[in-house]
Amino acid sequence: MNGWILAAAVILAGGVGATVWGVATGPLRRRVVAQNLCTAFACPALLLLSQGYDRPSYVDLALVLALLGPVGTLVFARLLADELADDPPSAWGLTYAAAAVGALVVPAVCVAAGPSRAMAKLLFVGVLLIGGNVVASRALSGGFPEARHG
Amino acid sequence: MADAVIVVALLLVAASATAAVAARDPVRQALVLSVLGVVLAILFTVLQAPDVALSQLAVGSALTPLLLLLAVHKVRRRGRREGPRR
Repeated sequence: MNGWILAAAVILAGGVGATVWGVATGPLRRRVVAQNLCTAFACPALLLLSQGYDRPSYVDLALVLALLGPVGTLVFARLLADELADDPPSAWGLTYAAAAVGALVVPAVCVAAGPSRAMAKLLFVGVLLIGGNVVASRALSGGFPEARHG
Repeated sequence: MADAVIVVALLLVAASATAAVAARDPVRQALVLSVLGVVLAILFTVLQAPDVALSQLAVGSALTPLLLLLAVHKVRRRGRREGPRR
């Protein structure tokens, strides 16, 4: 077991474990935030696993997750807009914590990959992950009011 | 020791699947199902089945919750429209 897989296991146990707990209990607004954060923690874990198993093709999984995770959250933000309108869930501290995990993992994996096409792909995944996460959090906290009555 | 990450992924799947079964409200169940999809994809990756994980991600993280929520939305709207007549 190398350090990459150990780091992935720690992120899975700490980050994704906390989001599973958050999505299983509590009020609706907390569950939506936890569902959003689940993507943000799972994607760096997938990147670390790809590096740990030494299979660069596993990066595709992280790419698909970074692309589809915010889409799933936007679906919830759009269809649950009525329930969430009274008390919009905003958890910017947690969002930036998850983004920081991504911002820590992506350069580490990039350094391990070395300057190549794989590194450009990893950087793309990182930008997509952090950007999508911030956009999804903003949509959840009611940042796009014009989308509510579309 | 090398199987620790598999154990972690299995525990996460067990916890989120139990939560999905225990949730009574369909909307909350859709949220738990979305997390379950992501966690299952991680389990498949850890078990060295990335192609299964890819399809699980595509279906589980976005499509299943979308279908569930659209169905809930439609049922509620119909109930609201026909409610006063009863």
